[in-house]
Formats: sequence, structure tokens, C-alpha cells
Amino acid sequence: MSRALVPVTIITLFIVALQLSILSSLRFEGVVVMLVWLWPFAMGLAGLTALGVWSAVVAGVFFDAHATTPFGLTALVGLILAYGASRLGKEGVGDLDSAAWWVTPVLAGAGGLGAPLLYAVLGFFTLHFSLWRGSTLDMMVVNAVAFFFLARPFGRLARFAGNVGARARR
Amino acid sequence: MASDRTRRRTWTIGAFVTALVAILYISGGVVSGFRSAANLVVTPFSWTINAVARPIGHMFAGAVNYSDVVAQNQKLRYQLGQAQLRANEVWALERQLQQLTTELDVPYIGSLPTVSAQVTTLSPTNFAATVDISKGRDSGVLVGMPVIANGGLVGQVIATTPRGATVRLITDVNSSIGVTFGNAKVSLVISGRGVNNGLGATAVPLSTAIKPGTVLSTDGLRGGTFPPGIPVASVSNVSLTPGAATYDLKLRPLADLRNMMYLDVVLWEPST
Repeated sequence: MSRALVPVTIITLFIVALQLSILSSLRFEGVVVMLVWLWPFAMGLAGLTALGVWSAVVAGVFFDAHATTPFGLTALVGLILAYGASRLGKEGVGDLDSAAWWVTPVLAGAGGLGAPLLYAVLGFFTLHFSLWRGSTLDMMVVNAVAFFFLARPFGRLARFAGNVGARARR
Repeated sequence: MASDRTRRRTWTIGAFVTALVAILYISGGVVSGFRSAANLVVTPFSWTINAVARPIGHMFAGAVNYSDVVAQNQKLRYQLGQAQLRANEVWALERQLQQLTTELDVPYIGSLPTVSAQVTTLSPTNFAATVDISKGRDSGVLVGMPVIANGGLVGQVIATTPRGATVRLITDVNSSIGVTFGNAKVSLVISGRGVNNGLGATAVPLSTAIKPGTVLSTDGLRGGTFPPGIPVASVSNVSLTPGAATYDLKLRPLADLRNMMYLDVVLWEPST
């Protein structure tokens, strides 16, 4: 894990930069696709629990540093997604090679569907009661579709990042 | 055994990070410092992404949309000509209005100084409607100041740095504005409903004579957060629940919040 930490952190920071620089302007139906959630989710599905948790925290914290929403909430949602996905990943459910081609995209789509809702619900615990008042349904649908299509490329990237550490160990 | 160790390590990292985030969240001062530090870390990555992605994006956009750009240019020239004509007509009327409002001792947006700023960043998240602008405390921009642009009120400054500021748009779910219309006898509070959903008002008394197309402007009541007379939104839909004593309004912002390049900060502080 420690060897892969550097490449994973660098990729994560690039994804945060992509999220902030490009995706905040490139909206679909007014909704931003949250790659900062997809990336840790893909890491988790690749069975990389600790790296998934780490990338969720790095991506979430750096993203939250640029937003006016409750600090740490994006990180918390990413962390839950990464951990949940890693439970499936450990069982090989989301594995890109052994599972049917549609399993990873469908799981990611479900993650994209649930993530904005989870964010709004967790907002209650940080005393931000108005987060659900936005276009939560739009966010859920757009993120689910985007996660569905981006799941496999991100899965491959996650596996590549994890393998960098393994190769370095050998 | 190895999996136990990994699990333990994961839980430890998770617990540590959660505690860290909780501490950072609770201590607000640390958060603002951390935000600045995080900006510094992410900036080189953003530069790299921008340097690579922007020219490619512009090339494709230019190639695909060339005829649209030409048509849009012609349309804008026509609109500019019209606007110049209207500006000349309005100039004389504004002078008259300023003289009258000075005599009545009523603040008017035309007489308040403004600072023009460029929109630098749109809100990166779906859960807040904000924009970052290029002027901050060094230019006299302070928290609470109203922001206007192309046709009406855009929002309010909620955070400042020496050379930048964050503006909460009127469509943000945390935004609420006191407004009035017509002869200014009735005041309403309208609130944001999210980036895509415009504005709304609930529990409006049935006695209020309001209909689709009515323009609402800030009421500037004592202790209000905006000066009076800034156009905010027009009524797009009036819905009445059968049997209810009030009705709900759906409102469309007058300013085009989706296409903002420049905006003006009104150098007016809310009374405390």
C-alpha cells in the first residue's frame, strides 16, 4: 500500500484539479459529475480498501476546501462509498476481468445514484438542513449515468495505480 | 492474518481521518487556513489540467460551433446598438430619478458606487450556488454587499480575501430576500430553490394582487440586507392549492445567472 500511495495521491490530485477546473463548468442539466466520488469508488471495487479510503479523504478534503458546502462532507461520502465498494471488491464482485462486463458499471451507477442522497442526508448531521432542497433527483440521475459510463475506465486506472505499488515492491 | 492487519490498518486510517475532519470542521478558523493551503496544493495540478484541456476544448468548440459564433456575433452587435440607443434615452431619466430620490432621502442603486469584477470560478459543487469573483477586500468589497449584473440582483458577498470574493447567488437554497412590487405596500420573502430551480415564495396572502410577469424588487426595509429598488425576479407561475388561504409563487431571476462573465458589487453594507 505504501508504495502505491504516491501515485494514487498524485492521480487523486489530478482528478480534483479536473473536477474543479473543467467539470464545474461542464454541467449536464446543470449538474456537476462528481469524479471525486467515482475515483474512490473505483479504487474500492478494485479491492484496494486502504487506498480507496485514502483517495476518498484526499479528494474530498481538497474538493471541500474549494466549496462553500460543509467542510469534510464530500470526503465523508467518498469514504463511505470507497469502503462499501471495497467490501464488494474484496469478494471480486466488481472485478473487471472475472465479472460480467455490466457488473462494474451497474454498481458504479448505483453508487452515483445514492451518493447525492447520502450527501443530503449526512448534511442533517452537520446541521445543514437545506441541502436536500436543490435538484437532488437531477444530481442522482446525472451522476448515475456518468458513473455507469466512466466506471470501467476508472476501474482500469485504479488497478493500474494499485499495480504500480506492487511492481515497485517486486 | 494479513487481511486482519489490512482491516485493522483501514479502520485506524478511517478513524484517524474522521477525527481529523471532525476537528477541522468544528474549529472554523483552522478550516479557513486549511482552505488556503489546499488551494496552494491543488493550483499546480489545475494549471496543468487547464494548459492541456483548455486549448483542446477551444479548438473543438471553435471548429464545431463556427457558424453559431458568427451568428451570435451579429446578434450581439445588433443588441449592442439597441442597448446604446436605450442607454442614451435612460440617461436623462436616471438623472431625474437621482434628483428625486436625493430629495426624498431614499437610497437608489444608481447613486451607489459599484466595483466591476470578473467571474473567476463557478461553484464546483451541486449543493451550493456560488461564484468566485476577481475583486476582494483590496477593492473595497466586504461581506454582505449586494451584487448585480445583466438585468438584476445576482446575489450577496459571503466571503472575501484580499483579491477575491465568494458570491452566494440568489438561487442558492440558503438565500432569502425581502421584496416588494407595484406601490410597495406588500412585502414578501423569496428564497432560492437550487441552481436549476430559480426562486420561490410560499404562503403569499390571497389579497396580494400578483400575477405572472410581475417584477419584484428589493424592499430595503430597515435592517434589510439589500438596498431598495434592485430588480430581483419576475413571477413565472402562481399556484393556488384549493381551499388554502395563501398561494405559492414560482419566480424567474431577472439576471441571467447561467451566463455571467462580469458583475458589479454594490458598495453598500447592510445595516446591523
